Amino acid sequence: MNGRQPVVVGVYATEQALSLPARDAMDLALEAVRGAIEDAGLTPADVDGAQVDWPGPGGVPGEGSSWARVLGRDLRWTSDSMLDNAGSRGLLKAAAAVRAGFADTVVVGGCKLVSRGAGPVGAGVPLEFADVWGSYVVAQFALVAARHMHEYGTTSRQLAEVAATIRNNGTTNPEAMMYGRGPYTADDVLASRMVATPFHLLDCCIVGEGGAALVVTTAERARDLPHPAVAVLGGGMEYHQSAYANPALYREVGQLGRDAATRAYAMAGIGPQDVDVFALYDPNSFEIIRQLEVLGVCDEGEGGPLAASGAIAVGGKHPVNPDGGCLSYAWNGTQQMTLKVVEAVRQLRGSAVHQVEGADLAVVGNAGSGAQHYEMSVLGRMR
Amino acid sequence: MSRPVPVPTSLSEPFWEAARGGDLVIPYCPSCDLRFFVPEPACPGCMSRDWRYVPSAGRGTVYSVTVVHRAPGPGFDTPFALAVIDLDDGATLLSHVDAGDPDDVVIGMRVRVDFRPFTDEITLPYFVPDTRPERPTTE
Repeated sequence: MNGRQPVVVGVYATEQALSLPARDAMDLALEAVRGAIEDAGLTPADVDGAQVDWPGPGGVPGEGSSWARVLGRDLRWTSDSMLDNAGSRGLLKAAAAVRAGFADTVVVGGCKLVSRGAGPVGAGVPLEFADVWGSYVVAQFALVAARHMHEYGTTSRQLAEVAATIRNNGTTNPEAMMYGRGPYTADDVLASRMVATPFHLLDCCIVGEGGAALVVTTAERARDLPHPAVAVLGGGMEYHQSAYANPALYREVGQLGRDAATRAYAMAGIGPQDVDVFALYDPNSFEIIRQLEVLGVCDEGEGGPLAASGAIAVGGKHPVNPDGGCLSYAWNGTQQMTLKVVEAVRQLRGSAVHQVEGADLAVVGNAGSGAQHYEMSVLGRMR
Repeated sequence: MSRPVPVPTSLSEPFWEAARGGDLVIPYCPSCDLRFFVPEPACPGCMSRDWRYVPSAGRGTVYSVTVVHRAPGPGFDTPFALAVIDLDDGATLLSHVDAGDPDDVVIGMRVRVDFRPFTDEITLPYFVPDTRPERPTTE
């Protein structure tokens, strides 16, 4: 294997909670960055790239190079954008930099407390033709789900089975915000109050606070580090349009992610049936059904029956979100995307709370706004 | 806090001006013969900046709908039917369909625009069920 093969060698998740009033974003970002570097068996002086939210106080909020002072060294690689600092997108950009030789060891992640005073979760800026109609995250995803149900006969019970399965993973995960709550049946989900048809309350993800980070370096550098390296074997990204300004239309974005997945599998030399565990964006139950289709686990329209068959459970054929996902473990703004990488890496190290036996290959899927963007990566344990 | 009020931009001012007069107008690019929505700095078909607004008959079909029971903020009367409407003469809009009972709004329903004053400046293009039996073949 090429010595500059990018690998993930460190991951870290802070505490995740509905509210962390004693902590600010800087505090959580610092903990995440320090934690990921320590988990990698490295020191801040080993890190020459930082794609990390800089929330302030101090420095220049949003300016990634602010991290150079705190890390105590000049940086070779940085990023100013919060979506470039999280999840598969952050990981793929860091991996590209490492492979090209722009930097040797990059930390990605941080914390941005989007839940504080931001009002309804959405674009974060006024949207002239959306806000006035009461269009927001749940509703925009609902418009996509409703069309899928209309075209393929996907049912509310299938959605509820997805929600119950993933939520019940969180029920028994001590790190999960919803630890100890549940277990839930599909009937419980269907009995919870309606938010926006077809989504009941328990079909929708939680909202909270917390940070996360990961460290990417080369396979060569990883040889003497403590944890088994997790290789970034492939990845892909797709962007349909900006978030929320226009409604997501199933005919335009229903299969968004398929091109990214096809390219990523080809890079990795694998197919979707080879994947042992999936860490997928789950802002609601339906988004899992959609992603099973775009990731090629099943054909378009077949995601509902597949997801409701038990296949996505930890012991199933295609386990999804063994940590409880955004539905039960944590949603914390942009860094929920990084939490998906954290879970995938833990699975491939064999150290996850709900371990999928013998997991060698994982797919991380991040998305947003209904979903008008998709970023996925294929990770594999190095032998 | 109350229901958000659209703030017109240089791109959208003609839309809101027409709406005040009860007319639905849609961005149209003559160079690639494309109607689109929302107004963009350049045509999504050919990147031309020389698009203009043209009238729409304001009739269409519900492409998708969600009945919102929990609004994103105060100022909304819930539940309401948030819908995506494919206009017969081109372009796709987000709006509310007022059919009395929001649960009566279904995918495929025929609808027509129904302008309703919101503020002094803003008149909103709601939609209501279109009882005309035939889908018009021309605008």
